[in-house]
Amino acid sequence: MPICVPELGSPRAVLSLWYVRPGDRVSEGDRVAEVLIPGATFDVTAPASGVLGDRFVLPTDPVATGQTLGMIEEAAPGSRPGLRTNVPPGE
Amino acid sequence: MTEGAEAHQVHPAPGRALHAYLLGRLEFDHLLALQRRLVYDVAGDRDAGAVILCDHPPGVTIGREGSRVHVRPRPEELTSRGWPVRWVSRGGGVLLHLPGQVACYPLIALDRLGLTPGEYLHELQAIVLDLLRAYDLPAEADPVRPGVRVKGRRIAHVGVAVRDWVSCFGIVLNVHPDLEPFYDVHCDGDPLPMTSVQRESPARVRVAGVRQKLVELVAARFRFDRVSVFHAHPGLVSRSPFPPGSAGGGLKHAVPTRTR
Repeated sequence: MPICVPELGSPRAVLSLWYVRPGDRVSEGDRVAEVLIPGATFDVTAPASGVLGDRFVLPTDPVATGQTLGMIEEAAPGSRPGLRTNVPPGE
Repeated sequence: MTEGAEAHQVHPAPGRALHAYLLGRLEFDHLLALQRRLVYDVAGDRDAGAVILCDHPPGVTIGREGSRVHVRPRPEELTSRGWPVRWVSRGGGVLLHLPGQVACYPLIALDRLGLTPGEYLHELQAIVLDLLRAYDLPAEADPVRPGVRVKGRRIAHVGVAVRDWVSCFGIVLNVHPDLEPFYDVHCDGDPLPMTSVQRESPARVRVAGVRQKLVELVAARFRFDRVSVFHAHPGLVSRSPFPPGSAGGGLKHAVPTRTR
């Protein structure tokens, strides 16, 4: 499930930061990233529950309405919220 | 109205109530805690809304678009002046907080009104323009860095954060602060020091009158039918440095004093 930039009403927008890392489990509605337009920050939320997969945008990159920031993938059975599930044991 | 907001949009229900918190001087930490609480409340009842009216002790906040380079005094000098510097997650740049300002922070579900964050910023700027018009001040919105200017100088800063489509932070307007310190802090990166309503207006300007007018303008612009005014919030009790009954916001119970 793609994480998309909603209509923010500004011709200029950049990604401020990611709140989660690949492998983190998120619930639908959790904030996953922050986008900045002149004068306002906007928290982008997870469109579905699962695990954050790929991230396609880095902080300070320009973003546009509808652009995919990253992907939410299906959570592996037994994974718990807030845990990085794609790191090898012991890391 | 736009795609993202439209997807969430429900027309506002009749009888929407705005809770206005007139809190006097409020430590920035207390503001942040109260905002978190009110964002949570409004996110759960999206037809409700709140607005915090307060001022802050002297200090500097730096938003996501700000830089330490816009604050000229060195750290030790800021310490000796008693100006803490705080990085905050709002839009906009550097802002110097001083007594004599009015901070107006609406907490409103933007999706309920079909507003994008960009449109909401325009609405806040329009509120300031309406207010200044009441004082016969010709003002203009800053098209580059959200805020309002009078005769070329910034008089109000506008910077917000939107969480779960609920707004926080908002407007900080110079009513009659000491303007000298603005030579040392380039608010929102602007090299010209800020001005104030009192400096530009020939008439005497009262902070209480500005607060009252802002509440009315926020209620009207965001289509609230009723306003309840409070001089405290229960969430501030344990944190307040003010004794009960003072104007600082430490009452045990939030008591509405006026409704319409």
